[in-house]
Amino acid sequence: MMVYHASYFKKAQIKIQQMAFVLVALLIFFSIVALFYFSIAGKGLKESASSLREAEAKELIRKLASSPEFSFTASTCANCIDLDKALLMKYRESYKEFFNLEFLQIEKIYPDSKKIECDKLNYPDCTTITIIDSNEFGSPKEAFVSLCRWEQEKSGYFKCELGRIYASGKGID
Amino acid sequence: MIKMKNKKAFEIGFNLIFGIVVGAVIIFFAIYATTKLIKTGEEIQSTELGKELGIILNPIETAFETGKSDKIKFPEETRLFNDCKLSGTFGAQEISTASKSLNGEWQKPSFPSSFRNKYLFSSSVLEGKTYFIFSKPFEMPFKVASLIYIWDQNQAYCFIDAPREIESDVEDLNLNNIFTENCTKESKKVCFSTSGCDIDVSLDLGRIKGSLKRKNQERVYFEDSALLYAAIFSSPEIYECQLRRLMKRTSELSSLYYSKTIFLSQKRCNSNLEADLSVFSNKTFSFNNSLQLRDINLYAEEIRRKNDGLSCKLF
Repeated sequence: MMVYHASYFKKAQIKIQQMAFVLVALLIFFSIVALFYFSIAGKGLKESASSLREAEAKELIRKLASSPEFSFTASTCANCIDLDKALLMKYRESYKEFFNLEFLQIEKIYPDSKKIECDKLNYPDCTTITIIDSNEFGSPKEAFVSLCRWEQEKSGYFKCELGRIYASGKGID
Repeated sequence: MIKMKNKKAFEIGFNLIFGIVVGAVIIFFAIYATTKLIKTGEEIQSTELGKELGIILNPIETAFETGKSDKIKFPEETRLFNDCKLSGTFGAQEISTASKSLNGEWQKPSFPSSFRNKYLFSSSVLEGKTYFIFSKPFEMPFKVASLIYIWDQNQAYCFIDAPREIESDVEDLNLNNIFTENCTKESKKVCFSTSGCDIDVSLDLGRIKGSLKRKNQERVYFEDSALLYAAIFSSPEIYECQLRRLMKRTSELSSLYYSKTIFLSQKRCNSNLEADLSVFSNKTFSFNNSLQLRDINLYAEEIRRKNDGLSCKLF
């Protein structure tokens, strides 16, 4: 009885295998190149988003004292914040998204006293009003402002003190 | 002698065919990916530009000034898209841009940058390298916002028989492409005492309040010079939408002043404006179109008059 042996390792088959290996290697190479590109591009995008966020916070903080929600308008006073309005702004949920900020705080810095967060009960014997707060925010920008409020002592008058406003912006929407 | 002909055909080996097919697929994907990447890059650039534009508009907003003007120059021809959205408590100002791609065609508008505290009055699409801007405060009766007006280098306006207040605004703010005399042929005619112009303004007995009508478009109403400029520089759709957004903010501010007056009344600073502010907040909240402005302004004037008489002013 005759037995025939087929030869499976022909030259063409070896070449196909070689080609397949080259293709896989090419695929891996291009994937690594793409990963490298996207990581660099992503980093650049993050950097530019964060610089835009900083720029917005910087520009906004210059203007915040004159925005209708904070400005002291009982008399003409540039860079004066109405502290009574600011305290009430703290309780208004509708404004949390309005300024596109991650963090917004007003701090009374003079006369110097222990840092106490303001609420309706301890006001005005407190130092900070945190209007917008979140767990993650970049380094906030700050500006000096005058904090003016109604003081009921004597027959009542508007009292202004030195303060600082801190703000940190959100990224691109 | 018979010469044998060589009948061997040109042989294309498997390797060559395989190489051509795979090579073509790789080149196709490379070109596709590059085109996509370039497009994405351009879109990112335009989106950043929209956001940057919103940021650089901050310094132009007014504090205690009655007006401010400036201009913005882009490095290349840029389209600016002004869109107004009413959703949410305050609505939103959306700004997107588009520049020309490498083949000279305009790209699609970028992903819009959204600002809840901005009010831009312009036509819905602007085009050019240089844009002119000015801003004025809007008060109703307290300051509500700074209104920003934008027009491009290709737009010019001719104010015919404008009231003295408007003329002095144009002169004092040195507004480019806005003429009160020696108008150019291409400029849009804005008539204050006659009709038949591109924009006809009807004023109430010489006061800066009344209505305005563009050719073949809806009539819109205004109550002060800030809103008059808003109506001149923007399309009726944008004007009405931004006005509704402004009224939403007025409503929120009225509610804030309402809380303030209740808070201060415990500290011997009583304004007796609680009822007026509450009604005013409700009225502005349900504002629908500029026709209701007159009624709202009457309330606002009453609140202003009462506040002016207070020793402990609310605003």
